[in-house]
Amino acid sequence: MAARKTTVKALTNKTCKQIADLVCNYLNDTLAPRVKRDFNQHLTICPDCVAFLNTYKKTVATTRSIRAGDMPENVRNNILDFLRSRARQNRTRG
Amino acid sequence: MLAYRSTSDEHSSAAALRAIPQGLVIPTTARARTRANRRQKTARGESDAVERLKTGDQEAFEAIFNLYSPKLYNVALRILGEAADTEEVIQDVFWTVYRKAKSFQGKSQFSTWLYRLTVNAALGKIRRSKKNKEVQYEEFLPKFEKDGHHTVRPVVDWSDTLEENYVKQEMQTLLAAALGQLKPMDKSVIVLSDLEGLSDKEIADATGLTVAAVKTRLHRARLFLRGKLAVHLGHSAS
Repeated sequence: MAARKTTVKALTNKTCKQIADLVCNYLNDTLAPRVKRDFNQHLTICPDCVAFLNTYKKTVATTRSIRAGDMPENVRNNILDFLRSRARQNRTRG
Repeated sequence: MLAYRSTSDEHSSAAALRAIPQGLVIPTTARARTRANRRQKTARGESDAVERLKTGDQEAFEAIFNLYSPKLYNVALRILGEAADTEEVIQDVFWTVYRKAKSFQGKSQFSTWLYRLTVNAALGKIRRSKKNKEVQYEEFLPKFEKDGHHTVRPVVDWSDTLEENYVKQEMQTLLAAALGQLKPMDKSVIVLSDLEGLSDKEIADATGLTVAAVKTRLHRARLFLRGKLAVHLGHSAS
């Protein structure tokens, strides 16, 4: 196991922690070309980081798929009534 | 004062926001061209409505309310987690928009200003209520050895297990609850990014954070959510 770890580090110039820290920029495609090359190279020989990346991406995708509740019609009407009333008072005073 | 216009006017914003496309970049596909046209129209229409709002135009104000209140309601609801508080916040936000529109100088997008008002109002409400419980992220973040390698190995790839619909729904529910446990500013960042699709720069403008701080908070929040999912599925957060 120790031999494998040394090999991973030596071949890719990046540790798994560094890869984890870069994931956000990797997904935004904002890594510098050389860093991106190192990142991809690390993935080719490190299944742990591939698993980490896949689960990170899945988390983002699942978060994005959460549907927020619509604003209820009565809430919308309450707010509009309030705003109209305040605006009217404002104009009367103003 | 305008009489209230009912349901058919839910989408009257588009009509109220008159549009003159200009400076189009020629897209390569018809669909892209349509999207670009729509964006141009919205931007021009928004700018026109904002100018009219500055003069106290009630119709422009209500068009802006119709256009943005559903989005801002969702943002505030995600940050606050309570409908009653959310209603108050949206009310305050649009009252501020009405009063302060003149002071909007157009240095950022109008929508960014609205997001900023909403996030500030929601975070202020949380601060005042003192209901927010601090959650320790540490337990749900990945762990690494001093040499930078994963502490727990192998890292299990559970991403495929979420493909089943019932699992996906369960995970969405779990994630929605986990979102509620994030620190308020982290929650704001992830809501604006992953749920609203704002860029890091737009989030920075809306929250007053630097772009680097937005990235850091976004990453940490995602790691926390990932850890929550992993633990729920019976794996290590690492």
